Amino acid sequence: MKTLFIISIVILLLTSSCVDTNQKNVKYVATGAISVYNLQHLNENNELVTLEVVPQSAQDQWSYQYIADEGDILYLSGNYKDINSSLKVMILIDGKVYKQASNKSDTLSFLTVSGTIPY
Amino acid sequence: MSIFKYVIVLIFAIAAHISLSQNVTLQGYIRSSSSQMPVSGAVITLKNSDFSTVSNKDGLFILRCKNDKNLTLLITHIGYVDTLVQLNNEATENILLIDLHERPLNLSEVEIFGETNNVKTYSIIKISTNQIKETNMSDLGSLMRQEPNVGGIKKGATGIDPVIRGFKYSQINVQLNDGIKIEGGCPNRMDPTAAHININDVSSISIFKGPFALKYGPGFGGLVIIETDKPKFYDIYENHISMIIGGQSNHLGYRSGIKVDGGNSTISYNLSANRNKYGNYKSGNGEVFSSSSDNYNINGVFGFKIIENHTINATAEKSWGRNVDFPTLPMDERSDDTEIYSLNYLGRNIGSKINFIKVKGYLSDVNHEMDNKNRPFSDTVVAVSKIHAVNNGAKLAVNINALKGHLELGTNIEQIRKDGNRYKSLIMQPGLPMIEENLWNNASINNTGLYAEYQKLNTKLDWIIALRTDYNTATSGPMLRLKKNGDLVYENEDTDSEHFNFSFSGGLNWHLNSKVDLTASLGKGTRSPDMTERFIILLPVGYDPYDYLGNPQLLPETNYELDLGIIRNCDFSGQFKASVFFSYVADYISAVIVPPSEVKPQTKGVLGVKNFTNIEKAYLTGFEVKHSTPQSNLWQIRVSAAYTMGINPSAIKINYENGNAIGEEIIKNDPLPEIPPLEASLWINYKFFKRKLIPEIHFRMVSTQNLVSQAYYESSTPGFNLLNFRMNYIYSNNLSLTLGINNICNTTYYEHLNRRIIGSSSPFYEPGRVIYTNLIIKL
Repeated sequence: MKTLFIISIVILLLTSSCVDTNQKNVKYVATGAISVYNLQHLNENNELVTLEVVPQSAQDQWSYQYIADEGDILYLSGNYKDINSSLKVMILIDGKVYKQASNKSDTLSFLTVSGTIPY
Repeated sequence: MSIFKYVIVLIFAIAAHISLSQNVTLQGYIRSSSSQMPVSGAVITLKNSDFSTVSNKDGLFILRCKNDKNLTLLITHIGYVDTLVQLNNEATENILLIDLHERPLNLSEVEIFGETNNVKTYSIIKISTNQIKETNMSDLGSLMRQEPNVGGIKKGATGIDPVIRGFKYSQINVQLNDGIKIEGGCPNRMDPTAAHININDVSSISIFKGPFALKYGPGFGGLVIIETDKPKFYDIYENHISMIIGGQSNHLGYRSGIKVDGGNSTISYNLSANRNKYGNYKSGNGEVFSSSSDNYNINGVFGFKIIENHTINATAEKSWGRNVDFPTLPMDERSDDTEIYSLNYLGRNIGSKINFIKVKGYLSDVNHEMDNKNRPFSDTVVAVSKIHAVNNGAKLAVNINALKGHLELGTNIEQIRKDGNRYKSLIMQPGLPMIEENLWNNASINNTGLYAEYQKLNTKLDWIIALRTDYNTATSGPMLRLKKNGDLVYENEDTDSEHFNFSFSGGLNWHLNSKVDLTASLGKGTRSPDMTERFIILLPVGYDPYDYLGNPQLLPETNYELDLGIIRNCDFSGQFKASVFFSYVADYISAVIVPPSEVKPQTKGVLGVKNFTNIEKAYLTGFEVKHSTPQSNLWQIRVSAAYTMGINPSAIKINYENGNAIGEEIIKNDPLPEIPPLEASLWINYKFFKRKLIPEIHFRMVSTQNLVSQAYYESSTPGFNLLNFRMNYIYSNNLSLTLGINNICNTTYYEHLNRRIIGSSSPFYEPGRVIYTNLIIKL
């Protein structure tokens, strides 16, 4: 009985040790715009969120942070209508820049950074 | 590589074992004390020495040893009480007659079936428990491809798909525990049957070549039966624990497993848990290949003896695969959750007529998820495929004594269901558009078979005959592929099909004399197309860079095969086996180009679309030769060589210029693709310290493969030589250790059947030097 008990514990440890997930801290950042701009990003529930940001100055920074798993899709896309404006979008994983892009006076295209959290 | 090297190896092997001479020869017969019948397989050991031998089928043994005044023989056999025999000086001049007293024991299910399946007229390979426990390999396919004329298509870290005498995929019937079938989820076969079974749970693998073993299901090119541990009953309640712990350097990782089994005369159980985890590896030239994997499982087997000779057992297994790399495929395995259940009844020796009745029901359920997140093209499109594949079935077999032989009648039923989608996220586009595509649309295949097999053992001639008929139906939802904007790419609603298949086989084993057997087998094996061949929708699942389209109206393909063999057993020189085969395949399932005007490819980088179709015929032929000196000798030498070639008499090759098809030509006698080249192996071992320490070297020579398919744009592969070393130390019955070095010379090489790295023509090299160790503990 004692042996069986020990064995059960070992099996339990073996199987429980199998569940290992590597979570990452994801941060989306948008900055550099001098007037209103639109953003779309994925959130922790893998839902696409659309919002409008009204900056006070080019130094204003919008950010959104959440915990994600390896392999999760990351997506941040922005667009502005003011020809004098600009935009810089970034994705950071655990504080390090993963993807970034910027443009200036481009009111037609969407500025997008995306990818997946590397395994 | 020249034939000369192979001849040298053969001469060396034969010369070496002939030179092993000893001083005194003892010979005699081992008999059962109750029946006075010969006892084969008894181990005769000279006490306090390393000399031993095994009795042959006539009970005869011949033992050469050093001359000594006090010779004592120990005779052991699983079914008999251990017996000591003190010999006098005259013993060396006379024939000894030794009687053994029977010991009652409980035979396992495998041994019971073995008793009534004695006629073997074709090539069968058995990979033993020891071979499985001593290997550093994590994948059953990699273990199988060490055998003559068995190759493996390697696409990634695990899931090597066996190729037997040039037959592959569904041409091979791979099953678990005598009847359990598993349908993999991946269209590219990253998870064939063997990939769902943990190597630590496997007790043996039997490889049957040819279409002859019809009672296990529709036979075509070969059969692989993977056996896991069975419930074992004990006279009084006992518990046992065994563990395996192994690790290796290159392809850094470990295999680990724990098993608990026990029971009494009425109930038994066997529980195990395993985890095998490996990282990337370096080839001989230092190149790193993505090949990590993480597989773990739990397994339970419960047996109940209702009354003597009537047992029921139930099995349950759950396994998980995580983050398994497949650098030659468009995707990696992200997760694989598999459940396998079975319920079995075995009744044996029922009255004087019935040898056994066997009933089995099973269910295997695979949830397989793959994605391209580690591929460069995931920068624009992230694709995730989720497949659910279910295979359930049943088997009934009755084996009776009839006309002084054994007649087995039975049926097996199999139902395969498959469904799943691919989800594409266009991550560089505004609004993050998603596309959902059907990979399988509630596809199903049902097969019901009836068989009869009769076999008879005689003094001069054993023979066997088998008949089988299968009723096979298949259906699927519409095969439909749409563009992002909803436009139609491909549609086929004619997905129903129905086949009546008939197979037969017959074989003879002629005992030419006490040492030589000649065998001949002739068979016709018919199989209906599989899920991929029937229902795949525009995915690159073949050897060549094309999107493939399934064809629900394919005809079954039929293999007519003739095998001829010779087996020579000699107490002095060991066993020599040779076999040749010739296969004529009618309605061979291949693929032809579909004009772009009919359907355009949907995968980036492919050359076009191919549609599965039947071609008139194909031929395969080849041979296997194997020689091994007696295992009872201190020295043991084994040598093997094997070769297969396959021909498509009239293949169509499409010519391209700048990626555009500019015409086609007929290639006469084009070699079939994915056939491994000529290869030979030599093993030499010596048993030290009363057979406790056994070092072994293995020299493997693989020839260049120049017989490649022009129609498939198959590349030729250079030959290579490999040197491996392994040392087993058996400290006691409770503890053994294996140390080994594979690819000692750190050779840079790849097997002909290894796929190319995706998006390139770079070979998927095998690991360079690997140092490994396995520790086995039994309590």
